[in-house]
Amino acid sequence: MEFLDQFTVTTLRGATPIVLAAVAGLFAIRAGIFHLGIEGLMLVGAFTAVAAGTASGSATVGMLTAILVCLLLSVLYWYLIDKLKADTVIAGLGLTALCVGGTAFAMQVLFDQRGQMASTVRLYRPITGQQEGALSFVSELTIITWVTPLLVVLAWIVLRRSRLGLQIAAVGDYPYGAEAVGVNQSRVRLYALLITGAGCAIAGTQLAIGDVAGFSENMTNGRGFFALAAMLFGGFSAVFTAFAGLFFGFADAFGIFMQINDRSGLPVQFVLLVPFILTILIVSISGYLRKKKSTR
Amino acid sequence: MNRAHAALSAVFPIVLAIALSAVLFFVTGYDVGAVISGVIEGAVTGFGSFWQTLRWSMPLLLIAVGFLFCVRAGEFNIGGQGQMMMGGLGTIVVALLVPGPVCLVLPVAILAGMIFGGLWSFLPGVLKVKLGADEVIVTLMLNFIAVLFVSWITTGPLKDPAVRGETASTPTVDAALRLSSGDGMSVTLLVLIALAVAAAWLIAERTAFGLKLRYVGEAPEAARWQGMKADRLRLWAYVLAGAFAGLAGAFEVLGPNGRLVTGATPTIGFTAIVVTIVGLSRVPGIVLAALLFGGLQAAILFLPIVSDLPSSGLKILEGLIALLITAEFIRRRRGVG
Repeated sequence: MEFLDQFTVTTLRGATPIVLAAVAGLFAIRAGIFHLGIEGLMLVGAFTAVAAGTASGSATVGMLTAILVCLLLSVLYWYLIDKLKADTVIAGLGLTALCVGGTAFAMQVLFDQRGQMASTVRLYRPITGQQEGALSFVSELTIITWVTPLLVVLAWIVLRRSRLGLQIAAVGDYPYGAEAVGVNQSRVRLYALLITGAGCAIAGTQLAIGDVAGFSENMTNGRGFFALAAMLFGGFSAVFTAFAGLFFGFADAFGIFMQINDRSGLPVQFVLLVPFILTILIVSISGYLRKKKSTR
Repeated sequence: MNRAHAALSAVFPIVLAIALSAVLFFVTGYDVGAVISGVIEGAVTGFGSFWQTLRWSMPLLLIAVGFLFCVRAGEFNIGGQGQMMMGGLGTIVVALLVPGPVCLVLPVAILAGMIFGGLWSFLPGVLKVKLGADEVIVTLMLNFIAVLFVSWITTGPLKDPAVRGETASTPTVDAALRLSSGDGMSVTLLVLIALAVAAAWLIAERTAFGLKLRYVGEAPEAARWQGMKADRLRLWAYVLAGAFAGLAGAFEVLGPNGRLVTGATPTIGFTAIVVTIVGLSRVPGIVLAALLFGGLQAAILFLPIVSDLPSSGLKILEGLIALLITAEFIRRRRGVG
């Protein structure tokens, strides 16, 4: 494959899980929940996809099981923060810690594997004929990567144009107002968290049986937190968030290629820093604008 | 809030988490009795075990008492991880590059760690206080930036040429500058930590500054009407939190680690936050909570010797405690502070 093709594949591969988790996470964050459990849910999605996929011999079963498990964990998280008034941030970090330990534990108990395990199934790749020449990268892309743009548009429609989307925004921005007009806050938060959970499961599935065909301990490696950065970077809009996620994939690919073809002498870490610095800048600027508006 | 209720609200989630973990281990076919006795041996009764518990409590305790200042001021600074790493960076730079007698270089190296950590926390403080940038996000991002920055330092400018392979690290600091040997603690280090924690207690509980900080955190409007400089107080809370986390980084570099390693302690900053909350945001409680989580860490490292339970099993317990600790199982209002 040519350089450009390889670069495109690496970018899209790196971006797909982040884009999916970020756009899914928008539902939680718009409902007013700063969900730090996304990282853990992605990890559980990745493990379950490999475990159930390998056990059943079907990638589809793997993904559906992953979604189911993430939905259950999302209900648990919802119960703790909504019914038992747990702190959102701390319970989210706890959920992630639980998932990191839980996946490693389950891998050893169920499969007697330490550190990592291989998957016997991989995701379907719709186009495989194009092996040579320009655009040969399309044969490397999984079904999930192909569907991701559709999911982004769907998320945009649901968030901006549907009854549920408006209720979610109302609960997040004006909780008492929402309650006053008869929106059941608790239920809306549950729905938002369920959508986030399902999206994280799909993101994890892509990560584990999309590119590498296997699970390794803590393989998400901060991608869930990158997804949070992408949401803020994208100003909580589904489309901009998706582009922000794509940018994370791009920075990642750029870093990988720099490590391989290192001639400039620029440290790879400096490239990987860029998205985080941009996120801080954007949060600061938007915070400043909001502050200015409210004091006027 | 009465004290009995507060203590119960911290103890109940822990007991519940332990019970749930025990049930999980039982169901998956492990000998729960052996696990429990293994944990106790690894954290308390075994040879040198308690020393290891102290070793792992140290960074948690220092970051947690620092985080306390931010809790008091109503700021959610989750950047302890990055502040600790930058503190370690400040210390290693001085320890490796500055020549001079030990009695001079050592205090400067520790101070450099506190300053680096403090500055790394000052940044999100300014962004929050002056610009209104959400501190949870900014400190989270700064953690990643610190990890990448330290990874560059340990693979580039300060790389140990003798180390090959995956783990990047700086050269080891001179033995004369070390506060403890590689196996963990020393009496010197214990005394220094005790002094630092006592200082934190004094500042938080026995000074006008500590009182004002609580005022600003709990009743910001009232504090403003009293004419307090709330912004400046909040900034100091950030700086103190960073300085204590930086001190933890300094002690890691001059103590057990002896050098700066990339990704040596991946989630210690988050665990420290849980320590503050389990300790009910009071210094004595934080000391107890740090010992609990430090003991758990010591047990995680020890358990493989005596039990076939994977160490990830105890990480589940740690995660469960964090997940459950702020939930109101017993009906009564209680906040993080």
